[in-house]
Amino acid sequence: MAEHEHISCQEVVELVNDYLDKGLEPETASLFEQHVNFCDGCDWYLDQMRTTISTVGRVTEEEVPPEMRDKLMTAFREWKRS
Amino acid sequence: MSEAEVQPSAAAEEQELLERLRAGDERAFETLVERHYPTMLAVARHYVSSRAVAEEVVQDAWLGVLNGLDRFEGRSSLRTWILRILVNRAKTRGARDARTVPFASIMPQGEEAAVEPERFRGPDDPFPGHWRAYPGTWQRLPEEALADRETLEVVLTAIHRLPPPQRIVITMRDIQGCEAEEVCAALDVSEGNQRVLLHRARSKVRSALERHFDG
Amino acid sequence: MNAYKFLRADGTGVFTRFAWPLPGDTPGAWVQTEPDPCRSGIHACRVRDLPYWAGRVLYEIELDGPVVEHKTKVVAPRGRLLRRIDGWDDDFRAAFTRHCADRAHELARAGGIERWEEVIEPSIPEGPALLSFVAARIAEEAAGVEAYHAERSRQAGWIADRLRLV
Repeated sequence: MAEHEHISCQEVVELVNDYLDKGLEPETASLFEQHVNFCDGCDWYLDQMRTTISTVGRVTEEEVPPEMRDKLMTAFREWKRS
Repeated sequence: MSEAEVQPSAAAEEQELLERLRAGDERAFETLVERHYPTMLAVARHYVSSRAVAEEVVQDAWLGVLNGLDRFEGRSSLRTWILRILVNRAKTRGARDARTVPFASIMPQGEEAAVEPERFRGPDDPFPGHWRAYPGTWQRLPEEALADRETLEVVLTAIHRLPPPQRIVITMRDIQGCEAEEVCAALDVSEGNQRVLLHRARSKVRSALERHFDG
Repeated sequence: MNAYKFLRADGTGVFTRFAWPLPGDTPGAWVQTEPDPCRSGIHACRVRDLPYWAGRVLYEIELDGPVVEHKTKVVAPRGRLLRRIDGWDDDFRAAFTRHCADRAHELARAGGIERWEEVIEPSIPEGPALLSFVAARIAEEAAGVEAYHAERSRQAGWIADRLRLV
């Protein structure tokens, strides 16, 4: 990243996930925090992204279909015997 | 001040499952199957021509896992190792069936903005790049709204609508809790690609939630 | 090394939400962090950094261990809060906000970029951190990046003079 004194909201929304995953260079993270510190809009956006991630984490995934489960357990028992 | 790492207990749990599996514990196998099924199917589905073939690949991969248990040295996580076996089987089957869709070629071309550019001030405005109007704050939403069935449906639908690479990465990272390195190793993508895919996926899901909450 | 640190009104870190041991008649307890300079550590302000962060509550902090200097903050592995800077209260924040808003108008007019004034008054409710940025940004737009830094220095001086900070 070139020498920046500040970043815009438009840049913040592109950096937010790298920030949350601790993937930003220290100076960029600092610019990010500076901006979020003064900009309510981006503070709320950061919060929205955190909420999005935790909500995604609550999704329960599709279950193993019974036929698949049966086939796999059968295969397992055969493997056990061998 | 940094948060305590969750990994140690997850790794210990994996180790326990592995030992029980090697001892022939059926319930351990069932647990692993349930845990990894959605991701394995999604990843396999990406390489082969149909869901039916993807299911065969998944079964085949599990056999590979069982037969390879003795050789697993624990240098990677169990999950990474399982997914690597799956990807190898899927690629082989995909190539054999002449459906070669290399993962990297599905990287979206060009820019895909996290938020529509019109929502920011333009280059000739004062403070270019700043919000024209702030997004809403979800802090005022009741706790229940964030976790209710309807909200989860919105999220699920949004995830299902994602292009497969984005869907797989967000599923592995944010639903399954895989580390970035695990995703890269399992899917054979670079760290940079993985980050971009995750960012785009999360941005789209956020947009869907915004439409849902703000009406 | 001594420096300054802003906290939320409830005494927690702005980004970490860590609950700091607050000073009373004596300094707060020492806080120790993981030795990873890129990822964690205690962030603090030199006087010149204060306008960038302009938080809710201000403390003087004693830092220990190798202090790493960054563009707008310093980072150290260990620190303890020495005293609250009582002068930095809501009235002071409002006065600083108003000062920055007045400077912003002045700079926009002097720089012939009156269009940029439209953002100033509506920003005031968001407080001193935003207005200090607005003023410095207008300075930059009118006269370049040195002017941005010059305005930031002026802001730091304004704060330091009134609070008698060294």
